[in-house]
Amino acid sequence: MKGRGPFLMALAGPIFSRLVKAALTLLAIVILNFCLIHMAPGDPAAVMAGEAGAADEKFIADLRERFGLDQPFHIQLFNYVGGVLQGDLGYSYRQQAPVAELILDRLPATLLLTLTAFGVSLTLGIIFGVMASARVGKTTDSLITGVALLFYATPLFWVALMAVLLFSVKLGWLPGFGYSTVGGEETGIWYALDVAQHLVLPALTLGLFFMAIYLRMTRASMLEVASMDFVKTARAKGLSARVIRRRHILRNALLPVVTLAGLQAGQLVGGAVLTETVFAWPGIGRLMFESLAARDYPTLLGVFLVSAAMVIAFNIITDIVYRIIDPRIGAPA
Amino acid sequence: MRMLLAASTAALMLAAPLTAQADGRIDIVVQPEPPSLMLGIVQNGPTQLVAGDIYESLLRYDTDLNPQPSLAESWEISDDGLTYTFKLREGVLWHDGEPFTSADVAFTADVFLRETHPRLRVSLNYVDSIETPDDHTVVFKLKEPFGPFIGVFETGTMPMIPKHIYEGTDFANNPANNTPIGTGPFKFNEWEKGSYIHLVKNEDYYLDGKPALDEVFYRVIPDAASRAVAFETGEVDVLPGGSVEQFDIPRLAAMDGVCTTGKGWEYFAPHSWLWVNNRSGPTANEKFRQAIMYAMDREFARDVVWNGFGNIATGPVSSMTKFYTDDVIDYSYDPEKAKELLEEAGYDGETIRLLPLPYGETWTRWAEAVRQNLTDVGINVETVATDVAGWNQKVSDRDYDLAFTYLYQFGDPALGVARTYLSTNDVDGSPWNNVQGYQNVPLDDKWAAAASAVGDEARQAIYTEIQQEVVEDAPVAWLLELEFPTIYRCNVKDLVTTAIGINDGLRDAYIED
Amino acid sequence: MSVAAPPLPRPTSPLKGFVGRFARNKGAVFGLIVLIAVIAIAILAPVLYPQSPWRMVQRPFLPPFTVDGFPFGTDTLGRDVAAGLAYGAQVSLIVGLISTAVALLIGVPLGAAAGYFGGIVDDVAMRITEFFQTIPSFALAIVLVAILQPTLTSITLAIAIVSWPPVARLVRAEVLSLKTREFVDAARLAGLTNSQILIREVLPNAVSPIIVMASLMVATAILLESSLSFLGLGDPNIMSWGYMIGAARTVIRTAWWLSFFPGVAILLTVLALNLIGEGLNDAFNPRLSRPSS
Repeated sequence: MKGRGPFLMALAGPIFSRLVKAALTLLAIVILNFCLIHMAPGDPAAVMAGEAGAADEKFIADLRERFGLDQPFHIQLFNYVGGVLQGDLGYSYRQQAPVAELILDRLPATLLLTLTAFGVSLTLGIIFGVMASARVGKTTDSLITGVALLFYATPLFWVALMAVLLFSVKLGWLPGFGYSTVGGEETGIWYALDVAQHLVLPALTLGLFFMAIYLRMTRASMLEVASMDFVKTARAKGLSARVIRRRHILRNALLPVVTLAGLQAGQLVGGAVLTETVFAWPGIGRLMFESLAARDYPTLLGVFLVSAAMVIAFNIITDIVYRIIDPRIGAPA
Repeated sequence: MRMLLAASTAALMLAAPLTAQADGRIDIVVQPEPPSLMLGIVQNGPTQLVAGDIYESLLRYDTDLNPQPSLAESWEISDDGLTYTFKLREGVLWHDGEPFTSADVAFTADVFLRETHPRLRVSLNYVDSIETPDDHTVVFKLKEPFGPFIGVFETGTMPMIPKHIYEGTDFANNPANNTPIGTGPFKFNEWEKGSYIHLVKNEDYYLDGKPALDEVFYRVIPDAASRAVAFETGEVDVLPGGSVEQFDIPRLAAMDGVCTTGKGWEYFAPHSWLWVNNRSGPTANEKFRQAIMYAMDREFARDVVWNGFGNIATGPVSSMTKFYTDDVIDYSYDPEKAKELLEEAGYDGETIRLLPLPYGETWTRWAEAVRQNLTDVGINVETVATDVAGWNQKVSDRDYDLAFTYLYQFGDPALGVARTYLSTNDVDGSPWNNVQGYQNVPLDDKWAAAASAVGDEARQAIYTEIQQEVVEDAPVAWLLELEFPTIYRCNVKDLVTTAIGINDGLRDAYIED
Repeated sequence: MSVAAPPLPRPTSPLKGFVGRFARNKGAVFGLIVLIAVIAIAILAPVLYPQSPWRMVQRPFLPPFTVDGFPFGTDTLGRDVAAGLAYGAQVSLIVGLISTAVALLIGVPLGAAAGYFGGIVDDVAMRITEFFQTIPSFALAIVLVAILQPTLTSITLAIAIVSWPPVARLVRAEVLSLKTREFVDAARLAGLTNSQILIREVLPNAVSPIIVMASLMVATAILLESSLSFLGLGDPNIMSWGYMIGAARTVIRTAWWLSFFPGVAILLTVLALNLIGEGLNDAFNPRLSRPSS
């Protein structure tokens, strides 16, 4: 790579067009979800009345009016989309706070969890995938692929429960739930350590499944590339197996893995819902589940919007990574 | 370093009997996270639990439902049952330092709660006027005698709202709702959404030496199993009733240093039954409904599903509520009799839709057991799954055949029982009125007479008649008087002393060294 | 395995060679045996356990192997866990197979059309695919099931809706590479219409990767169903493995067997499907399975 300039230019164009597409996709998601959610039985007024344990017509009618639910559907949709276009995600009457605020409150936790799980699963997946492919057919390979298969075939929530049982209840090594020690006085580095400690179990639980996927993809891809002609040529030139693996195979083999990782982003963010529920992780996944149960429409829609945006961000990141490692772009032939 | 420390403390906690921290801090589970702490506007269970420390009412009630002083020092009811006079305690301050006076009481009952509190509104309809002859006297004048009136001065029913903050504002959207101001023993400090609510001691509380606790953390832990773990590892000290699954209770209760109590629910007396659609389908037939009563093995449900907690409900009124009688038809488990009744009813195998209550595993198991009981006597049952919103919708629209529910009784049949059976309450659109569509018009007069009769004896006589008649009609299928035990560390003392339990229990609670 | 493997015999017929390659893969054979066993249990469930799996037949919380006739113990209400496992096999297989079939029905035509026709068709199809891949899949499944109310149909449908996009992408990629082949040109010269070419010439050549993917999708669908049931979004009228774990989760420490056995059942079935998928993949692409040493 000689100059970064042309490279960055090469990145900027596709990313801009992706952003435009992303914005349109998000808009479509907002509209689709709005319609979907309003099809669900029951509305927030009924839920809140239900929780109060008693209510009369006036109570429910008051609530509906306050939430704007007494207006025709298309007006509600128009108002909502109009608001979103101006950057206003609406107001959650249920939680008595602007939706943007509610989500921003919870977003860091989800970002921390998903990014960590993503990083861990991709890194470990690639490392173990390469290891397995280097010793294909040997015990190491069987062991690694076997364990990966197990992770892949075990339900996420089951792993989560078992992990809490073992590491938190039986061994007492790690906190089993929550984001940080409540009422803790720590600041700075100690606080970070405290959060990190809480992060271990959820991130691993969420990450293991995806690690298994990336591992299998890396291994398969390594083997496929290894059988290609240019590798044979390199081998014929007398380069050592190690050099060939690192310089020639890995780079090419990683491309499909990165593509897959980008495509899996939606699953990763979705998986966070389950993980956050079991580990009481105060992120937007849990917020989504709670809002759905409460028919807190604005919050639910906001979470969908933000999580879809997260998926798009993941896609763009993997796109950039793809372009960085793609030998045809990085080192033009 | 910290990691090691945490690990070793956790290990220690598991080895030694569990005790609450002795530094005046107590951690209590709140489930689910309350939508708001403004008790005047939101009255769901979690809000009552937390806000019961912040807000107070004029009275408290002991576990036999006798009124006790709270913000009112003393009270008097005239012989005709029409005038209630309260003497307020002097020197009480709101959390922001303003004095609490009779004007606040009048504002609360006459303006604020009339607007926002549907359950209290029913009782307030009996109120003719509220007078405040001086700063520390309040007089409620009723239009006609209303026996249960002395029972409405509970925190969740009539929380005192500060007039100086709310007068003339849009109550529901007042920003002050986020920083609740009451007169209670604890002040709101911080709410980390999704994580915890932190209350601190009210240093200016009017009772000397109270509260004994310095701070309270209400912890939000959305998963039932995680809540149990939190209790086991010592992260929380108190599991309020209903915060862990019923199946987990015996295991937690058996741990060293852990106590449980079923008390503290007398005011609510949660009473469960199946709504049975009286309007259409096979369930419209009285014999079919009686068959359901005989078909259900309620002892099994109590012993296995509820782990032995609770009592079999004999009729509409809970044995914890006033004016209960057990002198009614006995619907003990008798599948053969159920089959006979089905035959008599001419049931032809039509599918009956059953709506479980979407409140967690225990309720799901219960619905499964009842479905099996009914299947065993030959009723074709299909379970319809819903979440809370769907349940409310279906029940409000009467789109069901059988539906699980439970309701609070609030100490008096007139407050919590009559609403289910009055034919005038047979109106679509609400899941708490006469949902089953029971039309017994002559009985309406008896309910009214029982509410306004003066003197407990007179009221008991009428309520006994009512219960006997309703039980025979079996408009709903009564299940159990529910018991939600509170689980706590034994060194937390005086936690549950009133009929609403920990909702207002932290005023007196202390931690023994 | 690789070192000791005998040199591959020249396949006499493609099918025989395929079967031979598959049969040499021990994992795949193991997977196939497990899957056949699961299918057999599912079919025989009403014969083995004539009573409903919901029936309360013994004392609750009976540990496994303590009472004759209850090898896996009883659950919280005294229902036979073995019966639940047998009937659960039905549900998992039905949900897995039907949702995969539905996903293929959506994904294959869409992907094929996109790949074959290109241009605006491709653009629209891929926008739709991307759209569905942008919504977090599990979250969408939850919302769909919550809206439609949990029944076997709604769960299967929700799973299908969130799992078709990868199929569309795969088929599109396959078709893209196949349509430039000579036999396609030949077919076009022979006067076949587009749809004839697509259905008769192109798609049959893309079948093997689709089969491999489908086997993995069945596995994923079973996992998804169990996750939904775990969250309480299962059909309450059917006994599924996911339901059993979800229901047992609160008693996981007092009655480990209640979540253990259905967990193992899911694990084994999903594992079997994965092994079969890998075996199929290797058998379809013999080049890749051979070590490069």
